[in-house]
Amino acid sequence: MTYKLDLTDIQGNIIKAYGSYNYQKARYLLFRVNDGDKGRQFVGAIATKVTSAVPWGKLEGNAVAGKPQATTNIAFTYMGLQALELPDASLRGFPEDFMMGMAERKEILGDDGPSDPKFWDRIWKEDVHIWISINGQSIEAVEERYDWILQQIDACKNGVTLLMGHRGETGEDNLPYQDASVLYDNNGAPSPKEHFGYTDGIGDAVFEGQTNVAARALGRGKLTRDGNWEPLATGEFLLGHVDEAMEYPRTAPTPALLAHNGTYMVYRKLHENVGTFNRFLDEQSKTFSGSKELLAAKFSGRWRDNGAPIVNAPDDTSKAEWDKRFAAADFAGKKRMLSDFTYNEDMHGAKCPFSAHLRRINPRGSLEFGVRDAYETPGALVNRRRIIRRGLPYGTVKDATRDDGNHGIIFMALNADIQRQFEFIQQQWINYANDFKEGNDKEVLLGNHDADSPGKVVIHTDPDSGKPPHFVTNIPRLVETRGGGYFFIPSITAVKLIAAGLIDPT
Amino acid sequence: MATKNGNATALTVLSPIKNAVMGETSCADITRERCLSLPIHEKSPLARVPNTYLARLFVLDDVYYESLPASDCVFNFSDITSFFSDSARKKALPRKDHLKSKYLVFSSNFYGDLDAYLAGLWKNWSYIDLSGNQRDVRHIWEYCVAFDRVTDISSFIDYIKRCQLDASLFFNGSTDDSLQEQLKSLYLKQEFTRFAIEHQGKNAAEIQQDFKTFIQRVQPENLSSPTWPPGKSAP
Repeated sequence: MTYKLDLTDIQGNIIKAYGSYNYQKARYLLFRVNDGDKGRQFVGAIATKVTSAVPWGKLEGNAVAGKPQATTNIAFTYMGLQALELPDASLRGFPEDFMMGMAERKEILGDDGPSDPKFWDRIWKEDVHIWISINGQSIEAVEERYDWILQQIDACKNGVTLLMGHRGETGEDNLPYQDASVLYDNNGAPSPKEHFGYTDGIGDAVFEGQTNVAARALGRGKLTRDGNWEPLATGEFLLGHVDEAMEYPRTAPTPALLAHNGTYMVYRKLHENVGTFNRFLDEQSKTFSGSKELLAAKFSGRWRDNGAPIVNAPDDTSKAEWDKRFAAADFAGKKRMLSDFTYNEDMHGAKCPFSAHLRRINPRGSLEFGVRDAYETPGALVNRRRIIRRGLPYGTVKDATRDDGNHGIIFMALNADIQRQFEFIQQQWINYANDFKEGNDKEVLLGNHDADSPGKVVIHTDPDSGKPPHFVTNIPRLVETRGGGYFFIPSITAVKLIAAGLIDPT
Repeated sequence: MATKNGNATALTVLSPIKNAVMGETSCADITRERCLSLPIHEKSPLARVPNTYLARLFVLDDVYYESLPASDCVFNFSDITSFFSDSARKKALPRKDHLKSKYLVFSSNFYGDLDAYLAGLWKNWSYIDLSGNQRDVRHIWEYCVAFDRVTDISSFIDYIKRCQLDASLFFNGSTDDSLQEQLKSLYLKQEFTRFAIEHQGKNAAEIQQDFKTFIQRVQPENLSSPTWPPGKSAP
């Protein structure tokens, strides 16, 4: 029987990457709860506008869900749930990582040097309790929803305070919101790029219960022994559902209604050092035997212009051929070309290096290193380390030779277990490489490279080609953390129960 | 016997500690304190003992109570006993065991055979403890039962063998080469990586010339020097 999620109960940002639905603008707000009663009143007001995961324009029962101009979603920190007076027995059921929060986990995450929480936007020194996101099809739609939210603060008689302290475009450090937006190309058309020029947000994890999973799971679900793809277990991304270990996630608090259809969100403001990146790429491509664009692709695993996976387009010639096939493919064919691939024919990393961002965050069964049947399933080491990625770029790059300013990515990772999924990827696969047999070589783009002892990575070549590998050396810190927190995204039912003060763990 | 895996040996030694008190401190606590005052990394006495892959010392106070194992069986013992009274069920639980004395546990994975390793241990185990005193291996085992009969290499080897446990499942996490060879390999790998990075893009003649100098410097055939010092943990 096909597994069907209760999409009216699940918050929309878990299931939908709004950016792919023409929501080009986003605004993120952080609140402190001043008073339990009034704070819950505020949450109740927001709950009336929380966007569900119901497919737009389709019949759901007797109702038609129209596509709104703006969406709204809500999440809470552990301190926030305390301030909203959840019962102690419920609070005690939350996992340690979520209770501690992101700043306290800096050693696990490698948030050191310029990424240290002491350098974060000053809002993160406040008591962050509630996170609200607005995604809009236009900035006007975002503003309108924002104004409505401000009215709810008044209506609840300041039971909550909208926190100030986001860093802005022109040096201000007291903004009441974090704006984000897709980037636009020279013709003013929205593009899927981020500030380093990479095409972003191509393949997200696909799990059971989502619509049309058979087609979408290609390259995005879990690899089976016979080379097919299946959707991942729902419980990897939603509490109250069975996970890849055939268990209910142990990170779920009680009662079941509080946890069911909820998940955890990792929110990070990642500043991109654009000037350093451009200089580094120029410098390194002087000694690299391929083109500069090929080297840039070797860093990420995808070509910057259209996201072509380098494992299937490993040099300039094959890229040109890939582009031709891509141009000729239909919509579904294009999706497949971007997502449906493995590293099975690239065990030496000659096409896609082990240090490439894409291969590090989702090794796609390649951790068997060609030893057939090394594990029960080729994804045994991967399937429990997957995350759903959300987010948009923020800020503008005014001078591509400089690092300063306010530009980067609002990165959000959704998972049922922050420690097992997001933190593991960050600690073991981004900032360390033992699983990839590459010692302590960090991932090039996101690694917390140390200015005093800069790292290297190896761009491998085919051992039979006789060509030497290329060493990328003196890697600077390209991405810095500027803020972040761990949040719980409850189901819509649970948001209403929290608002009503009806969470009852007995 | 699983004590050996290729050329690697797993040694587990449990030496009973005297049930005595020195002043107001038990012999077990003095022994534990001595273990904890060992210098670490390259200053550890174990760094001097040839062919030690990985070793540890600790004091075992008592055994853990295992309770009942979990079971996937439809009917297992605890299911059946749940039909009986609580006291009957409790009687059916595993017996609680305790050790009669505390033990000094020495566990080591090393290259080669036991006798040669223990001889190396007796001869080379020397260090300056955290208070600045010169110590040898007898200092750690001093309060173990019957260790006062150990006077020389052969009585030490006999003593350790009497305290030895057979390993039932030994996974050697190292390669099958001697420690010297492994340390030399580690050294060469690091030096060669540096050489490769420094010579990236240079012409073949220059690389060849420099490589000759490099080989003379790193001496791949000479296992003892230059090499990565045993116990050293960071460059």
